[in-house]
Amino acid sequence: MIRCFRNALVDGAGMVSLAAQCLRLTATGRVKPSLVAEQIFIIGVRSVGVTILMGLFVGATMAIQIEVQLRDFGATSFLGGLASSVSLRNVGPVLIGFLLAGKVGAYMSAEIGAMRVSDQIDALRCLGVDPIGYLVAPRFMASLVSSVVLLMIGLVMTVLGGMLMADIGLNVNYLSYIQRVQDLVSVSTLCLSVLKSLTFGAILSAIACYRGYNATGGFKGVGRAVRQTSVEALVMILLMDLLLSDLWSGWVNG
Amino acid sequence: MARRIWRRLELCIDQLYVCGVESLPIVAICVTVVSLMLVIEMSYHIKLVLNQHTLVPGFSTLMLVRELAPVVTALLLASRVGAAMAAELSVMKNSDQIDAIRLSGVDLFKYLVLPRLSAVTLSCMALTLIALVVATLGATVMASNRLGYLPSEYMNTMLAFTAKYDILICLIKAAVFGAIIATVAIRQGFKAPPGSRSVGTAATNAVVDGFIGTILADWVITYLA
Repeated sequence: MIRCFRNALVDGAGMVSLAAQCLRLTATGRVKPSLVAEQIFIIGVRSVGVTILMGLFVGATMAIQIEVQLRDFGATSFLGGLASSVSLRNVGPVLIGFLLAGKVGAYMSAEIGAMRVSDQIDALRCLGVDPIGYLVAPRFMASLVSSVVLLMIGLVMTVLGGMLMADIGLNVNYLSYIQRVQDLVSVSTLCLSVLKSLTFGAILSAIACYRGYNATGGFKGVGRAVRQTSVEALVMILLMDLLLSDLWSGWVNG
Repeated sequence: MARRIWRRLELCIDQLYVCGVESLPIVAICVTVVSLMLVIEMSYHIKLVLNQHTLVPGFSTLMLVRELAPVVTALLLASRVGAAMAAELSVMKNSDQIDAIRLSGVDLFKYLVLPRLSAVTLSCMALTLIALVVATLGATVMASNRLGYLPSEYMNTMLAFTAKYDILICLIKAAVFGAIIATVAIRQGFKAPPGSRSVGTAATNAVVDGFIGTILADWVITYLA
């Protein structure tokens, strides 16, 4: 029990310090922008399609679910606003964050982990190149940027998906769906979803880089790093989601 | 005959332990966190629409039972169990163990696939139910702290909103998600290309495919229900 707690503390501190190191290297201009751009292309652009698909279906599912719950109260006119608000504030960031933790995070940790266990990172160090500046920092920045952008794309898609679903399956046309959106989706909701996107992107990038960089035990260890990355990212995303929702409801909604 | 059935069951029980018992704490904690989050968020939404929060128990519980509890359980299982399964099978394939099993005349489907498939499906259903119970208790505490509900009041309102039908949908979803996760992971493990580098790829692909399959199946079942 105590050992488990201590390991969690050590890992958490390691993740934070690795992320801080990457950010510092980037801020002082020691990371080549071309490397970051290349990684953004590899990780981010490839995930756009999946994110759009996921966003559409999450939004559609939420629309059906909210409709089922509202039907008994005859309050279907609130469907659009409520479904968009629920998707934007919590369900959207959480589920799309999960997908990106699996797609971006696990890919990243598998790649860095494979380099680590085949001693490529030590080889770089022998050549006098800083492995964090050359390998980890570009990947960290790329996954940070692309997961934040992808999350926002996904959130827009949830609203679209809900609208499509309502028009096709639930007999609520676009106009009456959109009508209530501006009443219920306030600026603070949008701020909260952007804040959640930023936090989740940072969390999953830090966990993925740390787990990949510290992979041990051959290629089996890479599999373990992938698993740890996605599980830890999922748990941290959920915890941060609760924390942010709670703080936000305390500060902003009074 | 009885011994053969027992052998078969033993394989399944091993898998059940790995993916059911060992995932229980993490799944219970995560679903509870989701239920707390739902209480906070639903009270915000209901207040926005109806200017009161008498409907919070019903709304947050329905959302949890029908939607988020099976999905979150399945996504956790996909990243915990699915990735491990794909990694394990791809290591077995790369070290020619799968060919060895096939050559020794053992039916791969009965020996490798069926125990994993049934174990993940069963444990996904069981974990969802157990997690729901824990999460409901958590939500009751949260609601009595934040919204001033008496625990008994909360439970009564919650039960007035949820029917057996909702639990049935929850279980169907959990079973379908579990089957999808296991199928996807086993497929990724078996089709891993030669070379040890493919272990990480197989694990990553199992996670992503499991997530996508879960969300798509979730939409289909919600639409049909």
